[in-house]
Amino acid sequence: MSTNHLKKASLAAGAVATVTTTARAARGRNRGVNRLINKLKSSDAETRTEAWQSAGDIGALAVHPLALVMTDDDLEVARAAKRAMWKIVRHTGRPGAIRARIAVVNKLCGLLGADQPVSVRREVLWMLSEIGGTRAINPIAELLSDEHLREDARMALERIPIKGAVQALKAGFEKAPEQFKPNMAQSLRKRGVKVEGYPCQKLVPTK
Amino acid sequence: MKNSKEINRREFLTAAGAAAVSVPYLIPSGVLAARGRVGANERITTAHIGVGGRGRGLLREVKKFREAGSVNIAAVCDIDKERLDRAVAEAGEGTDAYHDYRHILLRKDIDAVVIGTPDHWHGLNVVHAAETGKHIYCEKPACCTIEEGKAMVAAARKNKVAVQIGSQGRSQPEAYLAHRYLVNGNIGHISRVDCFHYPSPEDKNPVPDSEPPAGLDWDMWLGPLRWRPYNQRYCHGVFRWLLESGGGQIRDRGAHVMSCAMWWMGADGTGPVTVEATGTAPKQGLWDSAVLMDVTYTFKNPDWVMTWRQMPNDKLPKAEKRTPDELNSEIRKISRPGYGAIYRGDKGEFIHWGGDGGTWAERKARNWKPPAGAKDVYKSPGHFEDWFKCIKTGEKTIMNMEAAAGVANLCVLGNLSYVLGRKLEWDQAKQTIVGDKQAERMMSRPQRHPYHL
Repeated sequence: MSTNHLKKASLAAGAVATVTTTARAARGRNRGVNRLINKLKSSDAETRTEAWQSAGDIGALAVHPLALVMTDDDLEVARAAKRAMWKIVRHTGRPGAIRARIAVVNKLCGLLGADQPVSVRREVLWMLSEIGGTRAINPIAELLSDEHLREDARMALERIPIKGAVQALKAGFEKAPEQFKPNMAQSLRKRGVKVEGYPCQKLVPTK
Repeated sequence: MKNSKEINRREFLTAAGAAAVSVPYLIPSGVLAARGRVGANERITTAHIGVGGRGRGLLREVKKFREAGSVNIAAVCDIDKERLDRAVAEAGEGTDAYHDYRHILLRKDIDAVVIGTPDHWHGLNVVHAAETGKHIYCEKPACCTIEEGKAMVAAARKNKVAVQIGSQGRSQPEAYLAHRYLVNGNIGHISRVDCFHYPSPEDKNPVPDSEPPAGLDWDMWLGPLRWRPYNQRYCHGVFRWLLESGGGQIRDRGAHVMSCAMWWMGADGTGPVTVEATGTAPKQGLWDSAVLMDVTYTFKNPDWVMTWRQMPNDKLPKAEKRTPDELNSEIRKISRPGYGAIYRGDKGEFIHWGGDGGTWAERKARNWKPPAGAKDVYKSPGHFEDWFKCIKTGEKTIMNMEAAAGVANLCVLGNLSYVLGRKLEWDQAKQTIVGDKQAERMMSRPQRHPYHL
């Protein structure tokens, strides 16, 4: 066997080992997600609480499975799933966890579609307001045209401290129906943009 | 209060017409006083925003000043009709009733507002009242976010209004004795203050969301908070146990106990360099504030440490027993002295219990006779009296906006560290968290239209 053949064989063996290790790790992570979900669905309050508090490390893989449980008929189970999701958001927002954060943001953005219940999408918008960056802007901005979610989408964009969020707010203001323009103007002013018309309403009695 | 030139015809006619019935009651103080100040002998005209729960208690307190002739109560306001009706009956004839507090802010005959709304409204109420030139008494805690605190300080300064935040422990008779005892070095150099408190409650009766009761304006109750459906376990009183509104014991009572600590340590205007919190979460229900909690605040230059611990009842320091003659009308009995602080100096320790409407100083401070040349400290004439005095003199109140925002920041930072599960670094000069982008975003919270700072 030539040196080249030896090298190729060695690389192939390494690749197989890597794939095997990765697959094993993925299976391990999936098992971690399944364990988390099962514990969240427990009828024991202590078990549920321990589960959601330990969810932070599991990260992006758990986001979609948790979203399914967030609308569980059992209020306490649904609440525990929501808290687990928040735990992941707070954990991945820590300094230095850039990859983990991006992975979670991508998964969260995948929950903003019309296939998800409004309650889940609303919660996700607030999660993205804390950790969302450039990738989150367009999916959030699309919801500025959704009557049920536009106010939360506006507030999420207002909080994300990048120029892209301001651009999205400006574009949203232009397209907004007349009755929603004052809301958009509020966010734009908060972000330091001068807005013609639509004066601030905060001191105007309405009731 | 405003210059008499700013009173329009309608307001003048209202005042003049009613003056036939009760002259001292209805002449706005601004008619008689110099611009920006209530005359020394004039009545202060107040309005009450939020008159249920603690707000009702505040109304009752102010009524005593009305009876004594120093205050007019012109209006009451609440977004819960039942509470508003009760307050109108309580305040008596001649008091106007409003649903929306902004009607009150537009009235030029009102000098000052007393705010007893839920905590998540404090920032807006104070900023808006300051922007319309009203002096302000607002319940504690001052704010729910760092951004609110900054805006409140800026608005109070810019509009030169007297703000008193309701951490009334500072005005208690025994707070004066404790303060005087400590600043005279009786326990030596103090390098540690350990605040203690019984746990935040867990919701034993969680219920699903439902329709709000008739008469409650749920939209306006939520105000700046993001919209959510009504829930019986998230409204009057119990809002205290939710992080986004009341913030749990640390923000509710921390605004009392840590207020005394910051004042007695001469630390108003300073802040910690690091904050680190851990806690245990409720096991069921909507309430999410930490049940047990352990927070460490590290201060530098001068170096000292303050801790906030919510601990099981059996771990709390036992309250010092009092003889009947140690209680009088001025020193109220504390019904549940399960909170306070231990001051640790290099020559000894000192404990106080309470820190709100009742503040007990340990006997050794009460019995201490200051020797000749001892330092004295400010003795508040009472929390409302101190505010009224400052409205007339332009002096700083004992729990002024800057001091109150500083104390509230401690509470807010403690909760932030708890929910994030990590230590935070704080830059007091810049009033910002450093080195943690997510935590920096969480220093503010977007607000629903049109309820914003």
